[in-house]
Amino acid sequence: MGFSANGKQYLLPEEALYLMECGNVQVFYQDLPLSIQDGFECFLSSSSVSLQQYQVFGHLKRLGYVVHRFDASSQPSSYARQLNLPQSRGARSLKRKRSDSLVPTCSHSEAHKVPDVKRRQAEEDPTLPESRPTSSQDTLGAQSPSADSNGGRPWWITDAVASHQSHEHACRRSLCWDGVIVFPDVASLRGHSSCLASPDPSLLPGGLTVGECDVKPWTRRINQREVKMSAKDRERERREHRRKWDVNRDEKVRQCRNWAEYHQLLASRQGRRSGRPEHLWQREVTPLHDHTQPISTGELLDKISVIKSTHVLEGASRLKASEEWRICFTVYQPDTVATFKKSNPGKPFAHMCICSFTGPVPDLAAIKQLSFQSGDVQIVFAVVDAGDISFYTFKDFQLPTDVYP
Amino acid sequence: MQADFRPPRRRCRVDEEYVAPLPVSRSSPERRRAIRSTTSCFRADLINRHVLVTEPKHISDIYNQGYFGKGILSRARPERGISDQWKQYEGFLVPVITQARYEELLGWAESALLAQGLAQVAVNQMLLRLRQPVQVDELRWEVENGDKPQLDAQAHPHANFSPHLESKPSQSLLRELSPGSSPDLSPDQGSDSGSDSEPDDAPVVPGPGFVLVSFDGDHVATETPQLRRNPLRMTEYLQLGLEEAFFLVYSLGCLSVHLQQDPLSITELWRQCMALRPDFVSSYAAYHHFRSRGWVPKGGSGAKYGVDMLLYRKGPPFYHASYSVVVEKVDERFEGSTLRPFSWRSLAALSRITANVSKELLLCYVIHPADLSEAELDSPACLSKLKVQDVMVSRWVSSKERAEQEDI
Repeated sequence: MGFSANGKQYLLPEEALYLMECGNVQVFYQDLPLSIQDGFECFLSSSSVSLQQYQVFGHLKRLGYVVHRFDASSQPSSYARQLNLPQSRGARSLKRKRSDSLVPTCSHSEAHKVPDVKRRQAEEDPTLPESRPTSSQDTLGAQSPSADSNGGRPWWITDAVASHQSHEHACRRSLCWDGVIVFPDVASLRGHSSCLASPDPSLLPGGLTVGECDVKPWTRRINQREVKMSAKDRERERREHRRKWDVNRDEKVRQCRNWAEYHQLLASRQGRRSGRPEHLWQREVTPLHDHTQPISTGELLDKISVIKSTHVLEGASRLKASEEWRICFTVYQPDTVATFKKSNPGKPFAHMCICSFTGPVPDLAAIKQLSFQSGDVQIVFAVVDAGDISFYTFKDFQLPTDVYP
Repeated sequence: MQADFRPPRRRCRVDEEYVAPLPVSRSSPERRRAIRSTTSCFRADLINRHVLVTEPKHISDIYNQGYFGKGILSRARPERGISDQWKQYEGFLVPVITQARYEELLGWAESALLAQGLAQVAVNQMLLRLRQPVQVDELRWEVENGDKPQLDAQAHPHANFSPHLESKPSQSLLRELSPGSSPDLSPDQGSDSGSDSEPDDAPVVPGPGFVLVSFDGDHVATETPQLRRNPLRMTEYLQLGLEEAFFLVYSLGCLSVHLQQDPLSITELWRQCMALRPDFVSSYAAYHHFRSRGWVPKGGSGAKYGVDMLLYRKGPPFYHASYSVVVEKVDERFEGSTLRPFSWRSLAALSRITANVSKELLLCYVIHPADLSEAELDSPACLSKLKVQDVMVSRWVSSKERAEQEDI
């Protein structure tokens, strides 16, 4: 705890207060000892450490952790840490954190001294990242979670989906040719009139006249012998006949008005049967994968991965540091106390970010910006609720791909 | 710092067999031989904000391969059939119903046949034939030959039913649900090799399969149960969520959704889903992301766990759910939690609940880039522009943290 500068030992205000509460230190100001209440009033201010931050500090210290103030500039990058670069002492002592020496910044006594002290602090430590930690507390309280932005429309109100669909299947039955063409049965005209009447001139193209047709020469060319079938053949014939499906009995076929529509109907049925229906495959957006093509599961998962996942540091560098969310403390694990050296503390266990229970939850922007500041050390959010502290972590997570088999 | 991945916990008793991760034809990489599943598309209908699958074969395929959807009367898999009790009969497992129930089903079969316009005399004749007890070898014959109805009338007198019925079960039942539709009547056919009939054409009366009618009751001597034809087809439908249905249509191309007998194209289905749910883009993006990693997301856990979906490995029968997911939508500056604004109080509560049920809380942020316009959102092609960031939220206990690594 504490640090040394100019040959003297100094304590940070929160450390001083903590030790006062433990009863290990007595703080004197102008030869008079300070009470605990005085200590709370003097040492905790917007320029040093807020009450909530002190509560977290005390909680962690009592559990045995080593807690330092966060110093962004002295963060070794992960690369430097990988290389195990030795920390240079000179650099660290120059970039000393705010050296609030044992002169407290009392708010209610000696008001004229306060600007003096503050000015000195400002001069000494221009790189201090904390600006106004307590002022932000007020703004946090004012925010409250906004109402559900959906508008709360009850789910059981069914939309008039049906009304949007206009029934385009208007009656198409008018002028519908039922698809039956009657051909004269020439073979059975033996006993009947041996000539066919001439066709209706209105059906013929203009300028064409057709006389009567003499059937006799045609019937002579047809083989009109009786087909001899055995009983089994007749039976089979009858079964096939019953089994044969008259295509005109299908209502959808009857609705087709010309050959083009009939071909369309056949194509759609073919598509459906083959597993590639036209309403999916012939439009502007087609499915990502044809389910009739065999493919292994791993390849299929790659094929349908159109949505990329990001990691938390992506885009974090262009976010500006926000006033609201900043890292306050660096925490080291308690069992490293034996090997802990102030000049070489090792890798921190966590970075603490302290917020109030009535404040907002960090959104993705805050998480990204803090992770960028913190490097590869985890960030723990300490939420203070009137003395009770809960800790939450928001960590980047990459869901592994599960291929089975 | 990255969160650690904890392997999922297996359930103690696993009764089901794992069929396939997704309902498509697969080829195993070692053998390069296709394991063919069905070739035709599954069919579903969009009714009143839900997508229903009615054909039993489709239901079993869709549910078994990927655990999509939920039975409308059951907790998970559609399990309701004609009866709960099944008994062994000459080596076959046949459902058992009481005589009272059998008479009731016959009554329903009669009204179904009358509703199709058949004369009362013909209906009575058919019912009389239905009541005839069935021999075991006929049952055996039908089981061996699959579900194909018989063609030859002489060998199997009950086959006369098939050509006379002119109804599609899904149509008649859908008629009750959506009164605006016009049923599509096409005759049933024995074999569809030459015909253009719809694939889901099984008759309502008689239903497929057989039942054992047990004659218990006031009789002193209980007669042996009789094997009869199943009088009425009763299947429990499978209900798919909007995201599941769209995933099957868009990513795999194996489902086609119909709205009042018209098949919907992908863009039309996307617009319908957007109209039904305002935040469909984000929730579908999250669903698609998890499915493309091979996990099974199940929605509908809002009432149980207070989150949007749960992630299972392989499926609910095999592993306990590993993650509870809350989907959040952010813009390109990573700000704005519009779907479900958290306060510390609600986040603390949710985190505790999730820990109590041994899951991990995952916030899934769907990042919309700045240049995504409204028009682009109108088509599913915008999905490739979205990005997804997973953040795991966990509670850290300071007093337990002294020497160990990680929490809970």
